Amino acid sequence: MNFVKRGFLSILRRKTKVLILFAVIFILGNVISGAISIQQATGNVEESIKERIGASATLEIDHEALEELSEEEWMEIEFENLGTDLIEKIGNLSYVKYYDYTSMFWFASENLSYYQGENEEHDISFGSDYEFQFKGINYPAVSDIEEGKAKLVDGRVFNQEEIDNGATVGLISTKLAELNNVSVGDTIVFENKVMDYDTDDIDGTLIDAREVPIEVIGIFETQTLKEESEDGFDSFIDFMDIDFQNTIYTSNQVISNESRWRNQVYASVDEEYAEYYEEEEQNEYFRPIYVLNGPDDSEAFAEEVKPLLPPFYTVINAMDQYDNIAGPVESMSNLSGYVLTAAVIATVLIIGLVVLLFLRDRKHELGIYLSLGEKRARVVGQIVIEVMTVALIAITLSLFTGNLLASSVSDTLIEANQDQDQDFYYYSEFQTNLTTSDVIESYEVELSMQYVIIFYLVGLATVLVSTVIPLVYIVRLNPKKILM
Amino acid sequence: MLLQAKDVNYYYQDGESRRYILKDTNAQFDKGKFYAILGQSGSGKTTFLSLLSALDSPKSGSILFDNVDIKQLGYEKYRRNKIGIIFQSYNLIPTLTAVENVLVPMSITENEIPADRLTVAYNLLDYIGIVKSKADRYVNKLSGGEQQRVAIARALATNVELILADEPTGNLDEEMEQEIVDIFKKLAHEHNKCVIVVTHSNEIAEQADQILTLKKGLLTVHE
Ligand SMILES: Nc1ncnc2c1ncn2[C@@H]1O[C@H](COP(=O)(O)OP(=O)(O)OP(=O)(O)O)[C@@H](O)[C@H]1O
Ligand SMILES: [Mg+2]
Repeated sequence: MNFVKRGFLSILRRKTKVLILFAVIFILGNVISGAISIQQATGNVEESIKERIGASATLEIDHEALEELSEEEWMEIEFENLGTDLIEKIGNLSYVKYYDYTSMFWFASENLSYYQGENEEHDISFGSDYEFQFKGINYPAVSDIEEGKAKLVDGRVFNQEEIDNGATVGLISTKLAELNNVSVGDTIVFENKVMDYDTDDIDGTLIDAREVPIEVIGIFETQTLKEESEDGFDSFIDFMDIDFQNTIYTSNQVISNESRWRNQVYASVDEEYAEYYEEEEQNEYFRPIYVLNGPDDSEAFAEEVKPLLPPFYTVINAMDQYDNIAGPVESMSNLSGYVLTAAVIATVLIIGLVVLLFLRDRKHELGIYLSLGEKRARVVGQIVIEVMTVALIAITLSLFTGNLLASSVSDTLIEANQDQDQDFYYYSEFQTNLTTSDVIESYEVELSMQYVIIFYLVGLATVLVSTVIPLVYIVRLNPKKILM
Repeated sequence: MLLQAKDVNYYYQDGESRRYILKDTNAQFDKGKFYAILGQSGSGKTTFLSLLSALDSPKSGSILFDNVDIKQLGYEKYRRNKIGIIFQSYNLIPTLTAVENVLVPMSITENEIPADRLTVAYNLLDYIGIVKSKADRYVNKLSGGEQQRVAIARALATNVELILADEPTGNLDEEMEQEIVDIFKKLAHEHNKCVIVVTHSNEIAEQADQILTLKKGLLTVHE
């Protein structure tokens, strides 16, 4: 009849009291389990969304800082362009996995058709003079492809030589290729048009034009922003995609050559422009993109880069977008955080009280064991075995029921939240193709190992502490006092 | 000499002053004898017995068992290996049966217990007057007299030489009282145990081998 056996016999023979203890732990266990489930699920969302956003950063004009300026100050600002030297210097920081900088240019084409989208009703070309958007890049593997915004389906990406020498090669989209019956190895011809819109003709008059033949070395497929969108964002998303489909990748060097030629033609006909063109030594505009080693590097990277930037520039992390799209889930996370804190406090108090009541009519019994010479540790041990066995069963059960509860509660809550907040769509240069719906879709309440461990630890520790503290207080007394 | 109280003092602090319950108390107890400690209610009998049984510790002085201070021996160890205690209110474990109650101290003591503990427990109970059918009952389904017998069996379960009882018959009628006293006499005289019984009954005291009386903190030994 040792203390372990006594403990188990006591559980079996004290059914009512054990049942009360069980019920209390089970109910509170459900609350805690539910709250941890939700916490865990929101944590997962954050992780998976941040993974999809990717750890990239760019440098931009700091619009917030500009808004703070007075009108006089506004007048005096001179913006410096980001030079390639600075872009490269920052790119060599240790946080950067690789970097790229891009430039944009627009061409026309005689014999190439513009992809209009699947929807016949749309007619969204920018006029035929600057239809096709060229994106100049410096990173041969193409950061958009590396980052999963596009997928190479045929041919190859650039090599370093083509980038350095400004070889007239490029990548086009699947849709553009299909529409114009172009395949890898073909050469397509674009037109660099110089237009003068300062005339009576609203369509402008052509000053000069030259042909730009581009050899297609690869075909990419855009990773569509969203497969199915339920409501009003269809057209916007379509529009973004159509823009992307009509984008041609080439090297910055090609863009630079064509842009220089266009400027020179302008300068030759427009004296004012010529003067301006002479003054500006750095008239090329590049948008840098830095892909960092990991999301954790975002802040350190920004800290280190900010002092290097010209005035009014700032670092924009892709990660910052998370807050914009994760609204409803974040508020769930906050709510469950409060519930968890409250529940843990309530649990410690309530279980403490219940255990205290449970112990109160056991006090005499403990005194008897002590009077028979039982070791204090074993007297405590017996009660701990009893309480912990009950707690273990109650916690294990509430682990599952609490989890079920959490999924149904969070479903309702998210729905309610979503109705209020509306689907927030975020789009930037990063082309983070994520919406609030994506965030909610990746929200899933599940039983992960980590969750199970946390739950058992929190639950059992709570019960253990609230059992051991009063017990230790009791067994410290001499047996006569306890039995009196 | 099995047990000795040496210059034992015990008091309760009453504000500034001390109210002495036991004052420089000396006593000796031997094996094979049945002792009765007599005294009026509130005279300190229970206090004295709880010191002898290490449920409490004296403010000064010492209790020696086989000439070793029980404090040195360790109170817990002393309780589990050297003595059997019987209380006025039985103090049995209500969720256990009679025989299970007897088994409890067997699992606590470090004394040698025969391997077949269950048989030993049933035999002990039978010897004290609890038949098998009653031995398997929960103790709160036994009469007071029966419960006290179970408590005696429990005190004997660890095969100790010293039995301490605090008004063991206080809740029993006279007939039952005599049966219990007979058990104590038998334990002392036939089994060579030292039995110390606290009582306020003169009938019990008269049957003891030696009477000690407690009055106003003073213990007097009557030859
Ligand atoms: N915790 C305490 N605080 C103060 N005084 C106490 C305390 N416990 C007992 N006393 C007092 O100590 C004295 C001795 O008590 P004790 O229980 O030893 O008497 P007793 O002889 O066993 O009496 P009874 O025959 O009624 O059982 C009593 O006067 C009692 O009031
Ligand atoms: Mg008393």
